[in-house]
Amino acid sequence: MLEREILLEKMKTSPYKPMHGKIIHAEMLTEKEKFFRIQLEGTINLSAQPGQFVMVSIFGYGEAPISVCSSPSDKGYFELTVRNAGILTNKLQRLGKGDMVGIRGPFGNGFPIDNMFGYDVMIVAGGLGIVPLRSLIRYIMFHRNDFGNVQILLGCKTPKELLFEEETKDWMRRAEIKFNCTVDKGDPDWKGNVGLITTLIPNVDINPMRTYGVVVGPPIMYKFVIVKLLEKKIPEHQIIVSLERRMKCGLGKCGHCQIEGAYVCQSGPVFNYAQLKNFKGECHEKAA
Amino acid sequence: MKYASLKKADLFEWLEHLKKKAKLYAPRKKENLFVLRPVKNVEDVCLEYIPTILPPKKYYFPQKEKLFKFSAQPFKTGKAIDKFEEFVLFGVHTCDIAGIQCMDVAFRDGPEDPNYLNRKDKMAIVGIECLKYCDKYANCTSMGNHVPRGGYDLMMVDIGDKFIIHINSEKGEKLVTDLGYIKEAAQADMDLLDRAREAKKKVFKEEFTGPLSKVYDVFDKSFASDIWKDVGKRCVACGNCTAVCPTCYCFDVADEMELNLDDGVRYRIWNSCQMDDFAKVAGGEDFRKGRDSRQRHRYYRKFKYPVDRFNRYFCTGCGRCTRTCMAQINLVETVNSLLNEKGIVE
Amino acid sequence: MKKQPKPKLAFFDFTDCEGCQLQFANLGNALLELTELVDIVSFREIMSEGTDDYDIAFIEGSITTDNDVLRIKKIREKAKVLVTLGACATIAGVNGIKNRSSLEAAKRIVYGDKAGIINSIKAMPVHEVVKVDYVINGCPVYIPEVISVVKCLLMGKPYVVPNYPVCVECKMNENVCRYEKDQECLGPVTRAGCNSWCVNNGNRCYGCRGLVDKPASDAAKDILQKYGLKAEDILNSFTLYNDSMGEKYDQEFK
Repeated sequence: MLEREILLEKMKTSPYKPMHGKIIHAEMLTEKEKFFRIQLEGTINLSAQPGQFVMVSIFGYGEAPISVCSSPSDKGYFELTVRNAGILTNKLQRLGKGDMVGIRGPFGNGFPIDNMFGYDVMIVAGGLGIVPLRSLIRYIMFHRNDFGNVQILLGCKTPKELLFEEETKDWMRRAEIKFNCTVDKGDPDWKGNVGLITTLIPNVDINPMRTYGVVVGPPIMYKFVIVKLLEKKIPEHQIIVSLERRMKCGLGKCGHCQIEGAYVCQSGPVFNYAQLKNFKGECHEKAA
Repeated sequence: MKYASLKKADLFEWLEHLKKKAKLYAPRKKENLFVLRPVKNVEDVCLEYIPTILPPKKYYFPQKEKLFKFSAQPFKTGKAIDKFEEFVLFGVHTCDIAGIQCMDVAFRDGPEDPNYLNRKDKMAIVGIECLKYCDKYANCTSMGNHVPRGGYDLMMVDIGDKFIIHINSEKGEKLVTDLGYIKEAAQADMDLLDRAREAKKKVFKEEFTGPLSKVYDVFDKSFASDIWKDVGKRCVACGNCTAVCPTCYCFDVADEMELNLDDGVRYRIWNSCQMDDFAKVAGGEDFRKGRDSRQRHRYYRKFKYPVDRFNRYFCTGCGRCTRTCMAQINLVETVNSLLNEKGIVE
Repeated sequence: MKKQPKPKLAFFDFTDCEGCQLQFANLGNALLELTELVDIVSFREIMSEGTDDYDIAFIEGSITTDNDVLRIKKIREKAKVLVTLGACATIAGVNGIKNRSSLEAAKRIVYGDKAGIINSIKAMPVHEVVKVDYVINGCPVYIPEVISVVKCLLMGKPYVVPNYPVCVECKMNENVCRYEKDQECLGPVTRAGCNSWCVNNGNRCYGCRGLVDKPASDAAKDILQKYGLKAEDILNSFTLYNDSMGEKYDQEFK
């Protein structure tokens, strides 16, 4: 059986029962975020598309949706980066190499990679938004020739909160991508840009009709960044976002993640702006 | 046999028979209201009743349902699906059968929910058609659910000293065959059935001031209506309306540990979009703030979203949400004021 | 769970009836299972000896004297985890009625001409004096909730007291609404977590677990109107357990 079939078969017998995942590597990236590399039972590949998420369980503490930050090209394991924010993630941060977690998924719609082939890609990441975007960036790196120009704009509050430090240094050095980073507030050692991420966008040179703008960050960031991308004349369906919502099932049933008629866990978490714009209210990420 | 008849005097005998065949649930009195309960004494079964406090969903989507057992140390997961026993829901109103049809659609929609479907497989439904309104709160006529529209195994209609029973499935047929007291309905009985249905037309009138298609259109245009503010202001956020709704199925998932702190069970538990933290994420952001937007969401999940998704209204017209609301939030009034606001009055 | 030395658990009472500790003593089999996980080192109701060496402190009762303040601060210094047990300790409960009058008047009513020599301060829930790690609401506490909190405590995770009203659990239990029976039930504004214990047993809710965060004040008049009740009746019900925060509730309902 194909790995995808094994996963689907598991879902069918009980979509609520998690697979067993073993933490094979763990490290703190910042004061609040921890990185995990996880191997599934039988070393089967999760095969998550960039932008998809898994439900992570720790028995007795519950379950929470977490974005996958590795690429499907990373074989034999997948990776997560988790901020300590609730009961589950607090306990997860106390786990390390050798510990077991439950994994369900992958769930949701990832970034529209098939449509993005041949296009230029402009990635805008705010704070934790770099986590699901790392998956996309790694994918693009593995399949670099399938995409046009690639530029990455990364913003966070302070240099201390910068995630994937080694990797971002590597992105900076590479000739085949443009990488720009900014912090809201610098410190004495910081030599990069200071200011909101929206300040980087006007200077970016793009061919809007040939560009996908992929934005992931906190709700407030979307409002401002999307306006800038629209000003750049990127078509609405080429502006891609990923939304965070409360989720309990991942199956479009429990109702927590619903935005009006849409279940974010099934038709999201990735949406394009043409879809986002159709929400009448309740959607904090919509550009004003 | 398509239609059978049963003398009222033989009802208890039939109930005794059904009780022997499977677990039998039927309406009975609880104080001044009604509830569905396992039948101990067939004399307690009450077929003239206003909708039960909780709809039949508690038997195929229980308040608290085991998903699987686990052990944290060593890390183990147990079997996910229990074997369920055959059961008969007896005396179900047509509105509640419509509710079951809605839940079927929602849980069958992929990815399927095996917990729900496995329970449902074991269920037989014996309905009873209402010939008069239960009370002033129902809006079953506007929803078209005051008459049987499938979704049952047997349907009973009271024609005086007898019940006519419509046999709608093989499962239903098995519940009435080889019983001396259940006979094929005679033409005279069928005439009485026609007459009962005819009389019914004079009793049941549409409760909304506009047709259902207009209700959908109005919902499409009423997202920003001030009516939601008024409803939200009155809402106590007690969650009664969603608990008693036959088509509300939101849930939460929680773990319960045994005292050894190693073994435990993962459950799903009824939850409600009316709760303050329902759409709040761990980081603190609340994506459906305010009781007005939560109440609006509840209404839209009955009259708009499921129509778009499943081509089906998720309001059955049972009237439970209005009946149970302490703050007098009234579904018919809300819908009619939306219709009125958009100038639709018949 | 990895086997570690069992934490030591001690009970303390302040101004209360010791009824919540009695609930603990009534845990039955669960109490025996519990002793597999913790050592109960001080518990006046079930053992004669006590000790000052403990990790977890269960506090019953309100803080009502200067001496209480000193004592609870000392306990807080020693305890790694401090748990309040029952309405008196968590919301001041019945003791809060005292705060309706001036302290002097209250002392005069209770102690008459001896009022001058008695030390008494306003009745306070424990969290107004020291940091509290876990709260167990109720008068008395509800045994299954006690067990849930103890499990959370031993697993080192927070216990989240529901922030929705008792109605949620009451409806799941398919009770006939007490308002249908013309009783001014406090379920719609009282924090759940008790599995609507009182209503299941034919009683109404008295609000012993304190109010939810955002009780709906505007809705109250609809409720009163629907069931033909008077605002005073509801207010009178409130004062039984929630008087220590009386002014806040008065505002909500007037």
